[in-house]
Amino acid sequence: MVLIALVIVFPLAYSFYLSFQNFDLSVGPEHEFVGMKNYTEGIFRDPRFLGSVWNTAVIIAPSLVLELLLGLGIAMLLSRVLHGRPIITALLAIPAMVSPVMAAMAWRMMFGVKYGAINNLGRQLGLLDVYFDWFSSPFISIVAVVLVEVWHNTPFMMLVLLAGLQSIPQELYEAARVDGANPWQRFWSITLPLLKFTMVVGVMIRLIDLTKLFGLIFVLTYGGPGGSTETVAFTTYLAGFKDFRMSYAAALSYVIVGGVLILTLLFFWMQRVREARAA
Amino acid sequence: MAIALERSAVVPQRAKRHRIWRGLGHALTYLGLAAALMFFLGPFFWILTTSLKGNEDFFAFPPVWIPAEPSLKHYVGLFTRSSGARYFTNSMVISTLSMISALVVSLPTAYSIARWRFGGGLLSIFLLVLRMLPAIALIIPIYIVYRTLGITNNYLGLVVVYTVLYIPFAVWLLVGFLRDFPLEIEEAAMIDGCSRLRALAQVIVPIIAPGMAVVALFAFIATWNEFLFAIVLTGIETKTMMVLVTSFTSGGTDMFYGEASASVVLGVLPAFAVAFMLQRYLVKGLALGGTKG
Repeated sequence: MVLIALVIVFPLAYSFYLSFQNFDLSVGPEHEFVGMKNYTEGIFRDPRFLGSVWNTAVIIAPSLVLELLLGLGIAMLLSRVLHGRPIITALLAIPAMVSPVMAAMAWRMMFGVKYGAINNLGRQLGLLDVYFDWFSSPFISIVAVVLVEVWHNTPFMMLVLLAGLQSIPQELYEAARVDGANPWQRFWSITLPLLKFTMVVGVMIRLIDLTKLFGLIFVLTYGGPGGSTETVAFTTYLAGFKDFRMSYAAALSYVIVGGVLILTLLFFWMQRVREARAA
Repeated sequence: MAIALERSAVVPQRAKRHRIWRGLGHALTYLGLAAALMFFLGPFFWILTTSLKGNEDFFAFPPVWIPAEPSLKHYVGLFTRSSGARYFTNSMVISTLSMISALVVSLPTAYSIARWRFGGGLLSIFLLVLRMLPAIALIIPIYIVYRTLGITNNYLGLVVVYTVLYIPFAVWLLVGFLRDFPLEIEEAAMIDGCSRLRALAQVIVPIIAPGMAVVALFAFIATWNEFLFAIVLTGIETKTMMVLVTSFTSGGTDMFYGEASASVVLGVLPAFAVAFMLQRYLVKGLALGGTKG
């Protein structure tokens, strides 16, 4: 416990202190109190950081939706399988166990212009007639990032939802079938309501993790083209370890922590309101 | 009589139709799963075959999907020219040390929480905070402290951070295993003259060893995969596999395919192992295991 305090609480306090200074490693070890300057710069005047907030949102939204839908679909397919479910589940779960860096590297090679699997497969099947550069435009780069992210983390969603599906008592479905409910009705009035809590938890965890999106960006695009895929974590990393503006980066990291906190609370609050309305 | 005849004709027909629908449903289920498997495992397959290709196969069109003469020369190149051996060892050493130290610290803590409910509430708060905290918020102060202490290019620095980040999760899992452990066995050992510590070491540990292995493997894979701390806190001598991989990205999108893919294959090996060994615990491990970055 003492160790935890030392390695977690102390740095956080120290970083909070730093965020009100103007510590810059490229200038020197001297620093002084500058008040809220770092925060106001980050929130109001730094187009790069503001842009990264927007980018992060643009990456998060479609990723979450796709991960939820795909994860739910695969989990439902899996729950219908009678033979070999453990092995298929384990195989499908592998991407989630892989480091984001490795996932991004594999995909970066697949996206390779001349020798990448995607362009070559596309050309072989006649879908592409040129060697396409997947990281040439901001829009397609974001699509690529979302694709890799979905590949990487849908398995997690799938595992969570599969666990949720398996906790739904089978008798409910039998009763519904006896009452003449078709599969569609069974899905909407049994599966979905009973799975809602699991879905909320899964989405919540993914949302929090996605705000930390760093390794994947670092390898796949390094924030490019033109900063269009820079996430908040990545911009903060650049501020701290490329520009060496330690105090500014500390302030940005606190802005991120605050943002994540607000997002989490908002999410729980919305959930609470919905449930209250339903009850 | 007539009615009975009619019914006997209808029922088999309906049953038959039912069977056809069912067969179709099963076929679609497996088809969907096959598609999912292709999407999720295809990249691994491609990386593996790429790492075994000779250079002329990279440039071939139509592309060579499965190399006719697989060769290990990229692995050799990775280990000799790109000093992959050193980075692989670094990753191994750092992950193993973090794993062991996390276990050693967590076990007594978990034991005291399981037996006397000491600090249990604090644990769940720590777990939650750690899960939410972006690693980027920790890395800046830790880097400055390490720089002043002069341990930025040192195994110890990384091991300490990883151990601490992993302790709450390890404790939480271990508490679960210890709660399931029958108190009677422990009491019997203590009546027979065991001290509490000896009972823990010689009676409980061997029995919950599988649980400890779960914790250990998760700790291993989490530290193996970690990137942000690794890239900031390592120097030339202590780089891990994750950092090595990023060095191949400098050549644009068409890069050093052979060695890059070989390093990815080595980098994802533990993930394969863990996914199969820890199936039952995957949800817990992924949902709560440490900070991702």
